[in-house]
Amino acid sequence: MSVGEASTDGGKWLDAHYDPVAGLHTFSSCVALADLSGDGDSRLVLGDLGSAGSGMKLKVYRGTVLTNESSLLDLPAGLVSFFMDLHEPRIPAVAVASGPCIYVYKNLRPYFKFTLPGLEINTLEQDVWRQVREGQIDPSTLKEMLESLRTSDVPLSARSLHLLSLDVEQAEQFVHLHKQQPIRRQTVITCMGTLKKSTADEDGVSCLVIGTESSHVFILDPEAFIILTKMELPAPPTRMDVTGQFDVEFRITVACRNGNIYILRRESDRPKYCIELSSHAVGLVRVGKNVVVGCTDESLQGFTQKGKKLWRTVLPAPITTMAAMDLPTRGFQGVLVGVASCEVLLFRHKNLLSSVRMPDAVSSICFGRYGREDGTLIMTTKGGGLMVKILKRTAAFEDRDGAPGPPQAQSIRLNVPKKTKLYVDQTLRERESAPAMHRAFMMDLSRLRLAAAKAMVKVLECSLTPVSSGVGQPLKINAVVQGLGPAFKLTLNVQNTAACRPVMDLAISFQYDQSLYRVRTPFLRIPLLVPGIIYPLETFVDCTSDKGVSDIIKVFVLHGGRSAPLLTAHINMPVSEGLTLN
Amino acid sequence: MGLFDKLAGWLGLKKEVNVLCLGLDNSGKTTIINKLKPSNAQTQDIVPTIGFSIEKFKTSSLSFTVFDMSGQGRYRNLWEHYYKEGQAIIFVIDSADKLRMVVAKEELDTLLNHPDIKHRRVPILFFANKMDVRDALSSVKVSQLLCLENIKDKPWHICATDALKGEGLQEGVDWLQDQIKTMRT
Ligand SMILES: Nc1nc2c(ncn2[C@@H]2O[C@H](COP(=O)(O)OP(=O)(O)OP(=O)(O)O)[C@@H](O)[C@H]2O)c(=O)[nH]1
Ligand SMILES: [Mg+2]
Repeated sequence: MSVGEASTDGGKWLDAHYDPVAGLHTFSSCVALADLSGDGDSRLVLGDLGSAGSGMKLKVYRGTVLTNESSLLDLPAGLVSFFMDLHEPRIPAVAVASGPCIYVYKNLRPYFKFTLPGLEINTLEQDVWRQVREGQIDPSTLKEMLESLRTSDVPLSARSLHLLSLDVEQAEQFVHLHKQQPIRRQTVITCMGTLKKSTADEDGVSCLVIGTESSHVFILDPEAFIILTKMELPAPPTRMDVTGQFDVEFRITVACRNGNIYILRRESDRPKYCIELSSHAVGLVRVGKNVVVGCTDESLQGFTQKGKKLWRTVLPAPITTMAAMDLPTRGFQGVLVGVASCEVLLFRHKNLLSSVRMPDAVSSICFGRYGREDGTLIMTTKGGGLMVKILKRTAAFEDRDGAPGPPQAQSIRLNVPKKTKLYVDQTLRERESAPAMHRAFMMDLSRLRLAAAKAMVKVLECSLTPVSSGVGQPLKINAVVQGLGPAFKLTLNVQNTAACRPVMDLAISFQYDQSLYRVRTPFLRIPLLVPGIIYPLETFVDCTSDKGVSDIIKVFVLHGGRSAPLLTAHINMPVSEGLTLN
Repeated sequence: MGLFDKLAGWLGLKKEVNVLCLGLDNSGKTTIINKLKPSNAQTQDIVPTIGFSIEKFKTSSLSFTVFDMSGQGRYRNLWEHYYKEGQAIIFVIDSADKLRMVVAKEELDTLLNHPDIKHRRVPILFFANKMDVRDALSSVKVSQLLCLENIKDKPWHICATDALKGEGLQEGVDWLQDQIKTMRT
């Protein structure tokens, strides 16, 4: 695979069908593939949201044609296909969740309707409606009282909320129309999934799992349609993924409206683990044992089923929808992500494997067996188009880590020689007697510091430095020795380093071994030193010894009226290479 | 017709030809081959082929040995191992499966570009099967979708068939027989 192919679909997909004006408006949660007639020819079932709150439909496609269409009463929130019984032939049912109800279709005919139990109604709310019914208060007072109930955070029924949104005249009519009926408070379904009852078989009977606006998760028995389990969440769920079997062990992963993901398990009716996301989840897909979450901050994140974060990768544009790409015959699992830049990206873990360009942004993605083809990718677009692509039999996805990271070379093992016995012994010793070694080191360090400090004090006391730090006369001296010997020329460069004050009344004298050297002018007067200028003072030194030895000559800069020298320089004399003449 | 062929014909010895029967799963390959066999040798229930099966049938002058390959995706990689032996190819298409016409085209293109087929003048007979199904594509439409007009270096022929009733099969087999005979002499 070349680099260029990685960024496109690389000829991995065959374009089976594209209808740009199919008029489909749906989301991934309302699309399913199911062998509805049991003939091995899978159909595409969609819950169409219609437009502007009307024209909601259940649509069924076979191949490239729409074969069935029936109206839905309310906007679909979720659609799943599942086996509800063990009857032969094995034909799955379709469940559509809308509002507080689940409509179950068998053979594409309405079969059963399940309605969620009503919620508790606040007694105060009940009381004010009773009062208005009995004529004790008028509609406007009712409205005021309901308003005050709402401000004190009492959850109100849909009827009361509707009343609050009306103006005075409409309110009066509304109250007269409805006051006789009992109040009901209903929650609505926000998401739906399926959970195998007791076997993991492909055609095993499944329970329906529903999430509601009242922050609950219910598990329904598929035959009796009774609530088997009720679980509570801290916030309303928006997306869910279910895995496992009801009778054995299961996990329900739900993304909630508070931006957290909760993981529910069989044993407890409260979340077991919580993943706190930095931004809201827009897609939740299971890949093997991990969940992949798409967030509003244009990122894709992987988590273990215990909620540990595995990776995060940044996407080029906001996510529009997500779906799993599961191809068990080829052992492939990935995640398809639709992004607003009109592309569908395929990820395995955090690696982008390929991308499919689309003519429009996708609103839903579904991957699975359609017709007789296992690897079919079905997408609907924002504009209502339907696109079907089929994965080529020969397509292979190469797992390349696209993200910048450590280069390959870093993982190559170096040929490091084996550890020697000496090394091991040394390491052991270091490990065992670390405190003693540290103490010894600290002691030596202290001694060293003391010695250094002592030397420093001595130097300062005796003005042995070539730079005078005295406040009065800041001076610098350096010496240059020229010649091969026995006569040497000694040049002393003296500089006044003060900012502007000249120095006067200075002299230079030497101290040396008289048996070795003779300085021609052992005492030099220094003229007035103007600041900044270097004054070279010259004298000649004769070496009087022929033994080829050398010694140090000390130079003192003296100040009239002071006994201690201002500064001292030590000159290491070179060995004389000629014999003295006298 | 060569002397040998005539002689063989008189003696009741027919020339043996190996034919590969290819096409996607559920296109009707096994049904077609079953229909070409003498009526006493036909089976009643046809199940999806696993791997492949070898069938024989005779025409007026040829004895066909057909490799009825399975068309299921996971067995399609078996096809190429028989290309060398094949002296002719029958390619069956489900004319009612519009969605998978691209898949049939893809497999056909792979076949035509295979080194064992590419440079041989193998006759290819296309059966646009299931023409009895409502809104099945016509054989003209099928040959358009498969771009058959691009096959320049091999003799090919397409017929619309209904394998359940056996319609259209004879026409195709006659064509194939003629092709094989001209090929030999
Ligand atoms: N209506 C109709 N059905 C047909 C026709 N030909 C075959 N079938 C049906 O199509 C189905 C598949 O036929 P098979 O012969 O098993 O297909 P195949 O190509 O051998 O399939 P594999 O062995 O899986 O590759 C069977 O149910 C046949 O009855 C036809 O011309 N018309
Ligand atoms: Mg077969």
